[in-house]
Amino acid sequence: MSDPLLSRLKQLIVDTLKLDDIKAADIPDGEPLIGAGLSLDSIDALELVVRLEKEFGIKITNSEEARAALLNVAQLAAYIRAHASKDKLPA
Amino acid sequence: MSVSPDKPVRLEAIGCRTALGDAETTCTALLAGDRALQFLPVLGPEGGDRVPLAPLPGRSMAETAPPNWLACTDALAAGIPAGPWGTARHPVFVTSSNFGVGSLYAFQRTHDPEHLPYTTPFSTVEVLRRRLGWGANISVLSHACISAHIGLLLASHVLHAGLADRALVFSFDFISPFVTGGFHALKILNPEMPAPYSARATGSIGLGDGAAFAVLGRGPGGFRLSDQNIYNEMHHFTANRADGAGFTACLAPLAASAAGRRLWIKGHGTGTLEAGRLEAETLARFFPGAPLVSWKGSLGHTLGSCGLIELAVALAAIKSGRTPGSVGSIAPCFTDNVATEPFANAGFDGVLLTSNAFGGAHAAFLLSHD
Repeated sequence: MSDPLLSRLKQLIVDTLKLDDIKAADIPDGEPLIGAGLSLDSIDALELVVRLEKEFGIKITNSEEARAALLNVAQLAAYIRAHASKDKLPA
Repeated sequence: MSVSPDKPVRLEAIGCRTALGDAETTCTALLAGDRALQFLPVLGPEGGDRVPLAPLPGRSMAETAPPNWLACTDALAAGIPAGPWGTARHPVFVTSSNFGVGSLYAFQRTHDPEHLPYTTPFSTVEVLRRRLGWGANISVLSHACISAHIGLLLASHVLHAGLADRALVFSFDFISPFVTGGFHALKILNPEMPAPYSARATGSIGLGDGAAFAVLGRGPGGFRLSDQNIYNEMHHFTANRADGAGFTACLAPLAASAAGRRLWIKGHGTGTLEAGRLEAETLARFFPGAPLVSWKGSLGHTLGSCGLIELAVALAAIKSGRTPGSVGSIAPCFTDNVATEPFANAGFDGVLLTSNAFGGAHAAFLLSHD
């Protein structure tokens, strides 16, 4: 059974960055998001961080923390679980 | 784009304003290790996280109409030597990375037409032109944080082409919620003080107000911009090539012409980690033994005007006999050449001044003196 948070994050990435030619389910959990893999750049990261902060009520304080959180979808899910309140997480 | 070492331009006059005062006052404060940056709300009167900012003393980040920074540019301009500025043989080059973008943001939110004269680069410069009595021969230049370097370089070209007798370069950047909010969104303006070139876990910058001018002329003697180079690696909006090739391409020609000289270096050094490491390593490789300082840990990053402001402070340092260290930086640093403490500069015969910018732009020039 798929992790609802992973699924939510993948859809959020596709929607936020308008990745029209990518299906959310096709993004591997461990694939790098920035540079290699999805090849997102720092402007993409900025858009994603703004959306994540709004959606999950989290606060990412510096660019190094953002980069670590956005390593891949699995890492991002772990970060969200560690920092978001439970009521913000998908059931 | 470059100006070769056989075509120096003479620095006839220079001045600046920072959060610490004029060039001499700023230099004295930096020598004492004073830090202009203080933790202030990122969005000014609208609050937000407290981040390191250095507005001019008493200046609010609230966008007023007319802008409250005009008092600073008026005071600075009072120190410009008299001349027919803005006429055919006395061109003016105005540089900034912001111009009146804060007023544009204020107009967008309030729809108050009083903001309109200050909302675009050309309309803002027109306001300055009228206030300062300049003629129409004004070039308006902007290229992010190397804007002032471009003004200096183009003014040098005009002088050496015989198109001008003297040239005035005038640069200004004042922080506003639009600008601070943008850097904050990138997470590089965050609740930590900057520590340029320090090898630490997280990077951070500060932002500061600043303005400066320089009058350039031809001829030998005195303080001279003896070699200038600008290079854009065209790699990415906010990142440099990881191998440092952009820094190398900008600095290599200057290293060749500075061979055998004893220099100290005023680097860019905002406090970000990746760019700071690339910059420090490249400078150490091309200019071995040359002490490297950044003053942005105290003044904050004065954006497109930093190149001219820091030139004015460097000149004050030479005249005082001591160079301020990298205020706020703490060991360990990326390289051994970083000077965290002030040092005597009598034994040096020049200064390398560098700036870098979003978009992969790199700029550097040599300041030579007898």
